[in-house]
Amino acid sequence: MPLHIIACVKQVPDPEAPASAFRVDEAAKKVVAAAGVTPVISQFDALAVEAALRIKDAAGDAKITVISLGPETARDVVKHSLAMGADEGVLLTDSAFDGDSYTTALALSKAIEKIGDYNLVLCGRQATDWDAGVVGYGIAEMLGIPSVSLAKSVTVQGDKVVVERVLMEGYDTIEAPLPALVTVSNELGEPRYPKLQQIMMAARKQVTIWGAGDLGLDASKVGAGAVRLNLERLFQPVSEVECEIVEGETPDEIATKLAQRLREQKII
Amino acid sequence: MAPSNELPGNIFFYLIIVGFSAFFLLTIAARLLPFLKAKGAPCLDQLPQRVGDFMLVMIGQSKFFRRKYWYSGILHPLIFWGFLVLLIRSLNMLFSGVADPLSLEHLPGGIFDFYKPVMDLFNVLVMVGIAMGAYERFFVKPPRMTLNLDAWRILGLIFFLMVTDILANSFELNLEGESKEAFSFVAYGVSNIWSGMNLSHDATGMLHATFWYAHLIILFGFLCYLPYSKHSHVLTVAFNVFFRNRERSGVLRPINIEAMMENAEEGATFGVGKVTDFNWKALLDFMTCTECGRCQSNCPAYLTDKELSPKEIEHHGRMTLLSTTPTIASLMKGKPSPNGDHLNLVETMGFESIWDCVTCGSCMYWCPVCIEHVPEIIDVRRYLVMDEARMPETAQATLMQIEQRGHPWRGTQFGRSDWMQGLDVPLFDGSQEYLLWVGCSGSLSERNVPITQALARLLLQAGVSFGVLGEEEPCCGDPARRLGNEYLFQMQAQQAIEIMKSKGVKKIVTACPHGYNTMRNEYPQFDGKFEVMHHTELLDQLLREGKLQPKVGLAETIVYHDSCYLARHNEIESAPRRILESLPQAKIAEMERSRKTTFCCGAGGGHMWVEESRGRHINHARTEEAMATGAQIVATACPFCIQMFEDGIPALEPDEEKRMRAMDVAELLDAAIGTAPTVKPATAGEGEGVPAST
Repeated sequence: MPLHIIACVKQVPDPEAPASAFRVDEAAKKVVAAAGVTPVISQFDALAVEAALRIKDAAGDAKITVISLGPETARDVVKHSLAMGADEGVLLTDSAFDGDSYTTALALSKAIEKIGDYNLVLCGRQATDWDAGVVGYGIAEMLGIPSVSLAKSVTVQGDKVVVERVLMEGYDTIEAPLPALVTVSNELGEPRYPKLQQIMMAARKQVTIWGAGDLGLDASKVGAGAVRLNLERLFQPVSEVECEIVEGETPDEIATKLAQRLREQKII
Repeated sequence: MAPSNELPGNIFFYLIIVGFSAFFLLTIAARLLPFLKAKGAPCLDQLPQRVGDFMLVMIGQSKFFRRKYWYSGILHPLIFWGFLVLLIRSLNMLFSGVADPLSLEHLPGGIFDFYKPVMDLFNVLVMVGIAMGAYERFFVKPPRMTLNLDAWRILGLIFFLMVTDILANSFELNLEGESKEAFSFVAYGVSNIWSGMNLSHDATGMLHATFWYAHLIILFGFLCYLPYSKHSHVLTVAFNVFFRNRERSGVLRPINIEAMMENAEEGATFGVGKVTDFNWKALLDFMTCTECGRCQSNCPAYLTDKELSPKEIEHHGRMTLLSTTPTIASLMKGKPSPNGDHLNLVETMGFESIWDCVTCGSCMYWCPVCIEHVPEIIDVRRYLVMDEARMPETAQATLMQIEQRGHPWRGTQFGRSDWMQGLDVPLFDGSQEYLLWVGCSGSLSERNVPITQALARLLLQAGVSFGVLGEEEPCCGDPARRLGNEYLFQMQAQQAIEIMKSKGVKKIVTACPHGYNTMRNEYPQFDGKFEVMHHTELLDQLLREGKLQPKVGLAETIVYHDSCYLARHNEIESAPRRILESLPQAKIAEMERSRKTTFCCGAGGGHMWVEESRGRHINHARTEEAMATGAQIVATACPFCIQMFEDGIPALEPDEEKRMRAMDVAELLDAAIGTAPTVKPATAGEGEGVPAST
């Protein structure tokens, strides 16, 4: 049996869009992106696919399945992963999935169980929209498999995975028995550029669509009712800066006045 | 009488002709095989222009007459015209060699006699040309040339052709004692030497036969040697000039991706990864290059110590082609190629070389034999990008950026309509005359935003009816195409064309020469036909119509830098200069490399966003040239050029006080019109539009 690797990818609003393109809707507790902001694959998730492809390249043979959870448009990031070289794609899309990190991890873990026969699950270290960095470990917990975080290199050796895990200074080498889950960090390198032939092939591939029912979950388990995170308030903090120019004839005079102002403000 | 008119001379004569001809024809047949299998290239459109062009470039040798290369501009036409003139004598040699009555000497009215002085004159002029060539190769040794034995062989062969021609003629005059000496004046002069020596009739006959046959053998030997030398251009150049691409030099041809996908078998490629994937015209280019090196000595990449030399691209193309072309020996052994060991195209040309090209077209402008280097380089890039996904990291980041975000300016803090704040610019709705195509740079890159605003103010001031697409404006696709992603380009182009068609756009004006080139020359490939103007053309027109009247003086010296995609690729040279001349009190300076011979700023061909990791910076080299004129302002008309100067000037001049300023022509005109900015420039956040590499 060749290796079977599952990579989880998320579609996010372009994290490089200018800050002015985003608006906080405090009433709805949502961030609204302007029309010009394109949805893209979360950068770390593209690296999870890249890590899977590197394992496949090294092994000569492996099957890579990509899963995404999100709206219909998330099909694009599945297609992108297929164009990079993944073999199959699954999209979990259902209004019932509109929950938090916990419900997302639950839905993804059920989908992974449904796919079955996997050796390795790869996720990005965090999604580049909310940067929570929770879902990957949640999946591992729910599947009951070991997880290793922040990989800069992932290799499969026999029945174990060997991970170089990024530290503040240097890295750890960690081995875990398969099946396991690894989250990938940007130190892995750059995701590959899809070849045109693969883009064309990916365009023709069918993406499997599953809703909550397909995973044997009812809305009360994965929807808004099941969330474990309570968002109290979403707002943009206001920071005000006042600038005062201290003037004077000579540098000495300016320095004296500056010192006086600072003392008045009880800064010195 | 020719020595071959009787036994045993005629046996030698026919042996020589049949033997050499057979060898020559076999060689040509083998060489033609890859051409027959190669892809087609449009070569018969615009026939009348082709004929005119052929007369000018080929017969008239027009591309040789360039001041910079005046020396070879004299020597090559001398040899070439001599070759044409003396071809008649060589043909006559064959005619009269077969049978005396066929000789041109018997033409009515003795008209051949009147042609003889011309031929004799060219005997001498060709030798002058050869002497000049020998002097250049032996003493001057221009670095652009590939100096090897091959050239000496060719020069020697031509020299001996002339010597044997004159000697054979001189002995013939003595032999036949004809009173036509006044016509063949050179041969007559030489024949007087032999007359003075009192040679016997037999000895004269022997010497005549010797030089006559020597001439014949050298002539055929030369013909047979040509395909094996780098001078095969003698055989191919006429075709190369006649069948050249008639489009503007900045145009790249499309590939039919859908059809290729449908017919694609395993291993089919979109770009050119093997030499046999090139179209036949590219193969002809390889066989036509004489390695004169004019391309190389005008290539911005080569001149700043990068890997690329356009000359080597052609040379390596030829080497790779010949490694797959059968030889006579291999044909006889039934092998399809000399040793079955084909050279790898990308490795031979060099990955770095392929990526160093800024597509400025300087090589193509200078090439005297109409070789089309740039499309060939891009063909290989297409292979590297679309088939192999192998490219510099920054090129990949740029393509990903365009693919995901629809523009190349990664990290920009601007939106597409931010620049419009405070300006009364309408959205295009079909009722306006012009669409102002702002372009990705014009709206998203910090240095270009004020230029767009200046242009909009000028158009408003002049009462031009125009509108913009605002947030709906896509990327024109130029960087994707030049970086080899034809698929991405076609998607962008189709999107842009659809939007413009749906809005009823007829006329476009843009401040970007790259967008101009793409929309004007390349969109028709996808049925997008619009009348496209560069902003300097429209502003020039408005000035001449009196709709804009500069009044504020600018007592400074301005040097104008020609954008490659304006001046060289699209022949827009005078309009921007006329605008500068209209500025009160301004003085205009010129750089040595200007107009069509301009030197790239370094940002063409997608290189605005690709890291320049080898050699010196091209923009520093160009900035030096601009600074050397002593001008206070360098004027540009391209969003990339101006940024390259903005980067180059502080790098070369640490003293802020003394720094030259870089300004767009539109900004200068805007200042001279006196329509002071009514709004502050759109404010950017912390960052700015920066290349994807950072």
